[in-house]
Amino acid sequence: MSTKGTRIPEWLTVPFAGITPAPTQEKGQDLFPTGNWRSIRPVYRDKLPPCNNACGTNEKIQGYLDLVKRGKYLDAYALIKEDMPFPSVTGRVCYHPCETACNRGQYDEAISIRAVERFLGDLGQALQRDVVKPGKPNGKKVAVVGSGPAGHSAAYQLARLGYKVTILEKSPKAGGLNRGGIPDWVLPQDVLDREIERLIELGIAIKTNTEVGKDVSWDSLKKDYDAVVLAVGLTEPNSVRAEGENKQGVIYGLPFLRDIGMGTSKVKLGARVAVIGGGNTAIDCAREALRQGAVEVTMITVEGNPKEMPCVPEDLHDMLEEGVELIHGKAVTAVLGNGRVEALELHPAKFSGAINASPITINKDVAAEKFAVDNVIIAVGQHASLAWLPAEFKTERGSIKIDRFGRLGDTNFFAAGDIVQLGSGQPLMVVNAVGDGKRVAFNLDKALRGEALEPRKIAIDVIVDLNRMNMTYFPHFPRVKQDMLNPTSRKKTQDEVILAFTEEQAVEEAGRCFSCGTCNACDNCYLVCPEPCIARSDRSNGLYKILVDYCKGCRVCIEECPTGCLEGVPELDFDAGVVRMDTAFAISPGLHGRQAQELANLASRPAKEL
Amino acid sequence: MPAIEVQRQTLPILGNPNQGARFYNPDLPASEPFVPGHRTCAGCGPSIQYRMTSKASGDNTILVGPTGCMYVANSSYLCTPYNVPWAHTQIGSAGSFTAGVAAAYEAMIRKGKYKGTFPNVICEAGDGSASDIGLASISGALYRNHDCLIICYDNEQYANTGIQASSRTPYGGMTTFSPPGPKVPEAKTLYPKDLARMMAAGHPHCYVATASVGYPIDLMNKVRKGLNHKGAAYLMIYTPCQKGFVYETPRSIDLGRLVVECGLYPMWEWNPEKREYDYSFRPQTMRPVAEYLKLQGRFGHLHAEHIANLQKFANQQWQMMGVQLPEALIKSADPKNQVNMAASAEAEAVAQTL
Repeated sequence: MSTKGTRIPEWLTVPFAGITPAPTQEKGQDLFPTGNWRSIRPVYRDKLPPCNNACGTNEKIQGYLDLVKRGKYLDAYALIKEDMPFPSVTGRVCYHPCETACNRGQYDEAISIRAVERFLGDLGQALQRDVVKPGKPNGKKVAVVGSGPAGHSAAYQLARLGYKVTILEKSPKAGGLNRGGIPDWVLPQDVLDREIERLIELGIAIKTNTEVGKDVSWDSLKKDYDAVVLAVGLTEPNSVRAEGENKQGVIYGLPFLRDIGMGTSKVKLGARVAVIGGGNTAIDCAREALRQGAVEVTMITVEGNPKEMPCVPEDLHDMLEEGVELIHGKAVTAVLGNGRVEALELHPAKFSGAINASPITINKDVAAEKFAVDNVIIAVGQHASLAWLPAEFKTERGSIKIDRFGRLGDTNFFAAGDIVQLGSGQPLMVVNAVGDGKRVAFNLDKALRGEALEPRKIAIDVIVDLNRMNMTYFPHFPRVKQDMLNPTSRKKTQDEVILAFTEEQAVEEAGRCFSCGTCNACDNCYLVCPEPCIARSDRSNGLYKILVDYCKGCRVCIEECPTGCLEGVPELDFDAGVVRMDTAFAISPGLHGRQAQELANLASRPAKEL
Repeated sequence: MPAIEVQRQTLPILGNPNQGARFYNPDLPASEPFVPGHRTCAGCGPSIQYRMTSKASGDNTILVGPTGCMYVANSSYLCTPYNVPWAHTQIGSAGSFTAGVAAAYEAMIRKGKYKGTFPNVICEAGDGSASDIGLASISGALYRNHDCLIICYDNEQYANTGIQASSRTPYGGMTTFSPPGPKVPEAKTLYPKDLARMMAAGHPHCYVATASVGYPIDLMNKVRKGLNHKGAAYLMIYTPCQKGFVYETPRSIDLGRLVVECGLYPMWEWNPEKREYDYSFRPQTMRPVAEYLKLQGRFGHLHAEHIANLQKFANQQWQMMGVQLPEALIKSADPKNQVNMAASAEAEAVAQTL
């Protein structure tokens, strides 16, 4: 068809008169917005890695592992400090629920997250000045009662929010359970001292030898401070309710460790020591007993076998390596001796229901067994001492009654840590107390500012299915092991048993992280796209952009994403902000569409213009 | 007039993250000579290959595109996705045209008529052009050792005309020229032409290698090695065709890996200095061929004995690469240990009605 004599409007000359626009790197081929072929659109949606989810304080574990493997240690340390005030402590003592949840555990071996955390914590300890700064002062005063994990965490977060924080601690030294419940060969005192110094650097005042109920009353707390966080912990040891338990030579686990930790211990152990209990404190007591001069240490537990014991399996293994004997399925019914313990009377026993959460049934029909000992350490849990607390805030379990935000009624008192977690099904562990302290601190801040409080966060989408990731990109690599002292020499000293990672080991171990469900800028989607319609402006996390004008929806990027953070979403689900062509779903109509628009407008144009 | 020396480019070799690294994190160049908006099918394998190749070669590149998918689908309305100079040539004259471009640049630089470094001259021929119609001209270009890289993007058929058999179509592959039927149940009876080995044997002074889109960094490194090699280089790259192979589009890269893991596409390099093959490439796992075949509709009609034949063929390829064959793969080469493809009964029924 000849166009001779036809006047072609300017906007129609472009594609039809043989002059086609040259493609550019920025715009692609404007003439062909192939995005209208697409029925499924790839979108980046980060999911929660199982480690972050399992962590008691929801540390951004995937995030700091990613930074460590790229050599950005200081950034990694700053990231960990958002949720965790003392990575050097938890890097040593944590029961690492993150490693239990780690997806790599289903593939070869879980990442040694705790060792990397310790590497970062030690790095932070060596810094002249900490990366964390106190917040802009807001003129409000908060008291934190107790300087254990929960109190430490709450005080730290509140100081970062700009509060003037005072910690009240009844012992002569701050640290709470971190100092009194954890032996030196797990957590050296100077590491903890340094972390306490960091708190003081944040402008927090620590009043030691100040006990609530004795030196400070409930009413004076209420009067002197805008708000209070109660993180008093469980300080009183449980008894086993055996006959003659008050005899000399019977020691309770937590005071035993606490006195050694505070340097006020007067205990001299005999050669044969029995430890009653199967938890983590019992294990620490048994290993500490060896270091205090005991020769034969025996652990007596009600649990039927080592697997049922409510403790960290690695610690149990290390304890057995040091030569502690185990007796299972037995309970102490009497402590025999003339004024001083000489032997124990044991009867077969078991839990009547769930392990460690139900009463013990003792079989008295069987003849009692005698077990000769010089000392007994009883470590069967703790309870709180709450005489100072108004009765309305006490529960039957002996803990503090709080609402789901951590608040005591409608007062400005909040409670955190073991004192509220006892019997709630939450593990009574350092990291859980830290998380509780953090969340309560944020809620306290919200309450004082009159904002709505937030209950404990519920995870939205935790990626635990390896089929959602592409395993082809992850070769098998064994876990990097932390070196340990030899069991025969270590059991006589207070030296740290587990040794730290070197820089190379930390980077190597962090490099094993799958980065489950979270974009770690691996560039794979960018590389495999056939169009290519995945643009990369800056190569750091999550800064890829899908040019939806061109994406044909082939889903190669989704299939090939190693971490599983790319997802396909049906195009019909996008209804807001999407301009569609009549036939399909391109986000903008492209040159063809614009031309169609011009043609549609043709009729309404005045004839003169044409 | 004194001759001006030709300045050539040297492209750095990328670290291969699949070998030894603990996490996948390649370091890629930023330039993008191939831009979106082309009309190839969703998930197009040749297009992935084109993109990776041009990204590896950079902005100082001249592309030659003989007739094939990457010409027909990509240059309609004279609008192409190439951000670097690109020229179409006849399907039969891929080699001669490329040789001409390379020779012309050498001459122009020598005479001072072109200032600048010698461009990367890349010919992107389909397997139709490279193994059938343009074989002679490509062989000529390689023989005369012009400084260019000739790539055969091997989608194992003539795809842009509607899936016809080429000499690279594998045994058992269904195309419109090789349909399965009562007389020929396996569809294609001939084994594919061993094109890359033919080029290595016939032109031992050239760098020759095979690659697959399933191993992107390896592919880009081979492109760079070919371009860095002074003289002609030849690459054969496996590029799945979604239309012809009949598979789900997300599996494009996956098929590129599976074909290597099944031994149907041996990955090797020909070292022109030492005059020997380098068979050191090893995929992460070895798999029976059925795992590759069952993903593709074009093999849906195969019977047990045909799959066993393909396994025998794959085993020969492994042995040629000096790989010890596991017991399972030797067993798979026996038809007794194979089962018919799920669709083979239906394929037969359809064939009977025609």
